[in-house]
Amino acid sequence: MRITRKTVAGTAAAVGTTLVLAACSSTASPEASGSPDADGDAAALESVKMCVLVADVTSSEALSFRDYYTQYVASEFPVEFVYSDELADAEAEKTAMEGFIANNCEAVISFASADRPTQLDMAEDAGIYYAVATGALSEEEYETFKDYEYYVGAIGPDVMTEYQAGYDMAQYFIGEGDTSFGIFGGGIPYYLEMHIYRAAGMLAALAEDPTTSYGGATEMGDILGKIYADGTINIGDFESDVYELTGYLETWDFDAAWQASMADMVGASPDAILAVGTGNAILGSAVDGTGIQIGDIDAYTEDNLAAMENGTLGYLAGKFTSINGPIFAATYSAVVGEPYRTEDGSAFALSQGYWTATSAEEFQEIIDADNVETPVYDADTLTPFIAQGATFDEFADFVSKYTFADLAG
Amino acid sequence: MGSFMQRTTGTLIIPVGVFAVVWALAAIDGASLFSSGDSLLILARTTAVTMLTTMALAINLNSGRFDFSLGAMALASSTIGAHIAITYGGGFPAMAAITLVAGALLGAFSGFLYTTLRISPLVSSLGVTLLYEGFAFTITGGANISFTQYPELVSFGKSLTAMIAVIIVALFAVYMVFDRSRFGSDYRSLITGQSAAVSAGVKEKGNAIRTYAVSGALMGMVGLIQASSKGLIEAGSINFSTIGIMFTAFLPMFVGGYIGRFSNDKLGYLLGALSMSVIGLGYSALRMTSAEQSLITALLLVAFLIFLSNEERVTRWWRRMKAGKGAAPSEPTSLESVGAGAR
Repeated sequence: MRITRKTVAGTAAAVGTTLVLAACSSTASPEASGSPDADGDAAALESVKMCVLVADVTSSEALSFRDYYTQYVASEFPVEFVYSDELADAEAEKTAMEGFIANNCEAVISFASADRPTQLDMAEDAGIYYAVATGALSEEEYETFKDYEYYVGAIGPDVMTEYQAGYDMAQYFIGEGDTSFGIFGGGIPYYLEMHIYRAAGMLAALAEDPTTSYGGATEMGDILGKIYADGTINIGDFESDVYELTGYLETWDFDAAWQASMADMVGASPDAILAVGTGNAILGSAVDGTGIQIGDIDAYTEDNLAAMENGTLGYLAGKFTSINGPIFAATYSAVVGEPYRTEDGSAFALSQGYWTATSAEEFQEIIDADNVETPVYDADTLTPFIAQGATFDEFADFVSKYTFADLAG
Repeated sequence: MGSFMQRTTGTLIIPVGVFAVVWALAAIDGASLFSSGDSLLILARTTAVTMLTTMALAINLNSGRFDFSLGAMALASSTIGAHIAITYGGGFPAMAAITLVAGALLGAFSGFLYTTLRISPLVSSLGVTLLYEGFAFTITGGANISFTQYPELVSFGKSLTAMIAVIIVALFAVYMVFDRSRFGSDYRSLITGQSAAVSAGVKEKGNAIRTYAVSGALMGMVGLIQASSKGLIEAGSINFSTIGIMFTAFLPMFVGGYIGRFSNDKLGYLLGALSMSVIGLGYSALRMTSAEQSLITALLLVAFLIFLSNEERVTRWWRRMKAGKGAAPSEPTSLESVGAGAR
């Protein structure tokens, strides 16, 4: 083969691109040669390579989860975490799974939900353990996959927890005497299940007033059905003698139409904007100084703390930094031969909810109690559940005690 | 006078027509295009962003250089500017200056790679896109940059005066650089006859690199406006996610090219961007879902391309219509007579 200038240039470009991609698909190597056992001694636990599928790599929440695994857990236990790049769709998830399988991952912890059935099938076929973090399978999916040998289980807010989070947020602002609201619907047009359930919870809380309904619906199932049918929320369908729905915004387009809709929502001066997620990041700058408060479901970050201190953020339901400790413990245990299974031998489905803050003081308490350096799910807390012979009931009980009072109170 | 009227009509027919149609549709629906106090700001801001992106795309595409890296340049330059301003201080002036300079340098580097490697600009710009996305990722560690705690950095994007100033200054600067300078003269001669221009002593590589630098500076301004208006820079993706911004510029670019026949293509890009921004306000006023908006924008692009491809036929048909009407001015405008005229 004749090596031309073009050949060299093309090769250099390909190598460069590969290096960039490789550099950005980060790996945290294990520093711990062994973990402490239940007695606090360094046990001879085997080193495990865990791969993590992520759909979001930029939000504060995603970064704090990642730091907890790569900075804290990887330093306390013999585990190597390999993260995917941001996975935008099902095809990207499939490609990342193929990469993980080719790279001899022993387990996959998935934060990506575009196509979980394919992920589960690929993991089962490859014989690597698979776990769902901060999420849950639908009932249908669970029935389909619960008997898979390599499906570890799921820990995270189930859809009812998401519904309740939206309901509780709206109830909080109603309790504060607020009567006019805007809603940020985020990924509702993309049929993002958790956003739909959160929004349905908000509308259901408002619909508890007898004069209020959404398209005639007042119950959870009917409200959900209407949102799923429309693929959006139509504020024209909201009827009430007590409450006003003054604006609605969805997606993260930032184009002229999106900005105009946001300006309309903010310009209508509602008492509060109820956001299904990323509310302060998306709307904080726009509502700053208007007196409008945002209710959000996000994470305990410095930016959100600053927003709560200046009054922009009035309510936050957030996953705490180390919330993914138990799913790590279960996945590790499965890899080393001690999987947790339910009484009938199925993979588990355990629910955890959010920690809530409505003041800067509560917010500060939470981030003081749980952070990457001193997580509530620290090595001492997790170790009894990492291949130490704990039963499933003991593990389920451990996971169920997730509230701030349980873990840090 | 007739020529002036023709040129004025050709220049304004699209933006005025778009405004009239969108305004009428909104009025029929009982809505207003300017329903909130921020509507004018949004109109100016999106017009500025779209115009700058369109110019950045068009100045290279006119020379056959397709550049996928426009969005990545906006991202990387604004990330550099914001990171330095937040870390070392200097406020918005520092962020603005660094972002614009960084944009120009990133653009020049992109042009340097293209002219040195001599590979297709399309392929080269794809590599540069990933490189710059990775660069922004590395600076932020994959995190978003939030300005929540730095309100002084977001005032620019919320100022109507600033946005209008950006439009005027950028339009004037691009016009002077490409239409009224030696560099611009060389640039145009390379477009119309590359071999002849090179034979006449025009340095094509240097011209290309400087064109890329101007494109980068324009995208630096786009990055600056977006960062200060959103209060957020999303720098955590290395998956070509920045390419999307380029597609917002196609319709304004084609519209600008059409308007350019009657006046100046740079003015055309501004009017094309203004038209798109008015359409955006219309989407919001009509409360269209994001899916409906995407569909209509795509249909508009296709329709305009069909028009451009069949423009001669449309012109002939229009002339026949006019001639038909002119031949029988006193006849009653019955269906029969219109039909006869049309034949």
